[in-house]
Amino acid sequence: MNIIATNNLSKEYSGRTFNKKKILALNKFSFNVQQGEIFGLLGPNGAGKTTLVKILLGITFPTTGTAEVMGKDVSDETYKNKTGYLPENHKFPLYMTGEQVLEYYGGLSGLSTAEVKKRTGENLALVDMEKWRKTKIKKYSKGMMQRLGLAQAMLTDPDLIFLDEPTDGIDPIGRKEIRDILLNLKDKGKTIFLNSHLLSEIELMCDRVAILNKGELIKEGTVDELTAGNDSYTFYTSELSEDTINDLLTKYSAVIGSKTEFKYSSSSPEQINTLIDYLRSKKVFILSFYREKNSLEDMFINLIENEK
Amino acid sequence: MKFKALIYGVFREAIAKKIFLGFFGISTLIIIIFLLMVNMDSVQGMVDTMKLTGQDAAKQFVIGSLGFMVDISYLLIITFCIVSVSSFIPSMLEKGSIDLLLSKPISRPQIILGKFSGGVLLIFASLVYLLGAVWIIVSAKSGYWYFPFLTTILWLTFSFAVIYSVVILIGLLTQSTVLTIIINIFLVFVITPLLGSRETVLYGFITNGTIQFILNLFYYILPKPGDLNIISKSLLQGEAVKSWQPLITSFLLMVTCLSVSIFYFKKKDY
Repeated sequence: MNIIATNNLSKEYSGRTFNKKKILALNKFSFNVQQGEIFGLLGPNGAGKTTLVKILLGITFPTTGTAEVMGKDVSDETYKNKTGYLPENHKFPLYMTGEQVLEYYGGLSGLSTAEVKKRTGENLALVDMEKWRKTKIKKYSKGMMQRLGLAQAMLTDPDLIFLDEPTDGIDPIGRKEIRDILLNLKDKGKTIFLNSHLLSEIELMCDRVAILNKGELIKEGTVDELTAGNDSYTFYTSELSEDTINDLLTKYSAVIGSKTEFKYSSSSPEQINTLIDYLRSKKVFILSFYREKNSLEDMFINLIENEK
Repeated sequence: MKFKALIYGVFREAIAKKIFLGFFGISTLIIIIFLLMVNMDSVQGMVDTMKLTGQDAAKQFVIGSLGFMVDISYLLIITFCIVSVSSFIPSMLEKGSIDLLLSKPISRPQIILGKFSGGVLLIFASLVYLLGAVWIIVSAKSGYWYFPFLTTILWLTFSFAVIYSVVILIGLLTQSTVLTIIINIFLVFVITPLLGSRETVLYGFITNGTIQFILNLFYYILPKPGDLNIISKSLLQGEAVKSWQPLITSFLLMVTCLSVSIFYFKKKDY
């Protein structure tokens, strides 16, 4: 079931007072997010990612096209009862304590006082911020602020959570903890829409990824689909004789890296098995071999470079 | 619950920005000075004489004292209104803050009305403290409990509400606290008194009918806190109100400013 669906969504911003040139932030953008998945949105700065999230949350209005969240048009505010949002560079009132921040936003979300009190404790414990609940947030570090922001986004037990750079300013251990929280939410059937510059994080967490550039969707798919390599295998072996190296070069078109390493390209499992049989017949020990895979970062950079 | 949370937010912001404390401190100082004044030997003697001469004299003393307090409260409210609450809307519109607010299941008109109601309640509570205390002191001292004075709290709250609606609109349009303060100070302390004196002073220099018409138009359109204060004092002193026009046009201005604010806020991308 689609929890988010957009159709030909476009957003045009009018230029500044002395520069009337319009800026196209989103251009006929169509995509969907399935319920229960962690969806990652990637794109360079100014690609339109934040605009998309803002439209999906009713903060900005689309110029043309439609956007639906949980089957409701984004102009209908009722779906926001079941969404949570952690914006990038969020600004909570600095004069409040962590607990007061959650009580305030819980109240704005329509939670009763009793519900807010109960969930405030639960969520602060979940993000490991319970002992700071009575501390004014102006004393919080960036990482603590992010944890509080995450607790705020989860406060209403939403079905869909939008997170914009959720691990920004958080140390590696904290990142792992947040990843675990998000994966736990996914296990509970929640949908997470993740906007992050940390590609390794997206790679570790997301089921599906969309890449946005200049307001247009340029690629979409599962992480495995996007990072699939070019059928190239790297072999690490015992020392190869001159004859074997010659055979590998002439019969198998292998690329020799050293006397213990070479690359072989083939999409046929039979051919790979034939090569392995050959190596064994030559008394060559295969120490390891693996199929080469692009990192999400490599794929992303290549894709954006090609678009230029 | 959502509306209550918005009002709670305004009160918390007022407490954090020391607006409440400032008003409470100044009010307490005024109350103490007033308390000392009415306990001075000369005033005590005057009060004793009035008590002997009858209730009318006591009433005059009470009304005179309270009228003086209305003028002080009026100045306090207007100044406080402009300087202190001018930051409410621009701070709400800051990036990172407005995104969070608009992502909540609360409508944009509700947000504007919540901020407005919160500010008005805040000033109402402050006025109840200041004028309520003064009323109790004067009444206890004179033995004459003049209840109509309490309506002054509502009049001053209304004066504040009118200016606050203008503050909200300017805050939304400019998104700047400094600009909001400057524009409102100029409006309330320069333009409004000038327009108020247009017939007695300005028309002596300006004889052109068109310019007079424009000045008249601005007088009716812009807030008239001074004229509202005059109505309030007339009612306090039991005198007939010369014209209710300032009340009607101020009310219309408040409704217009709030409507335009809501319309603008509903359409604006953040």
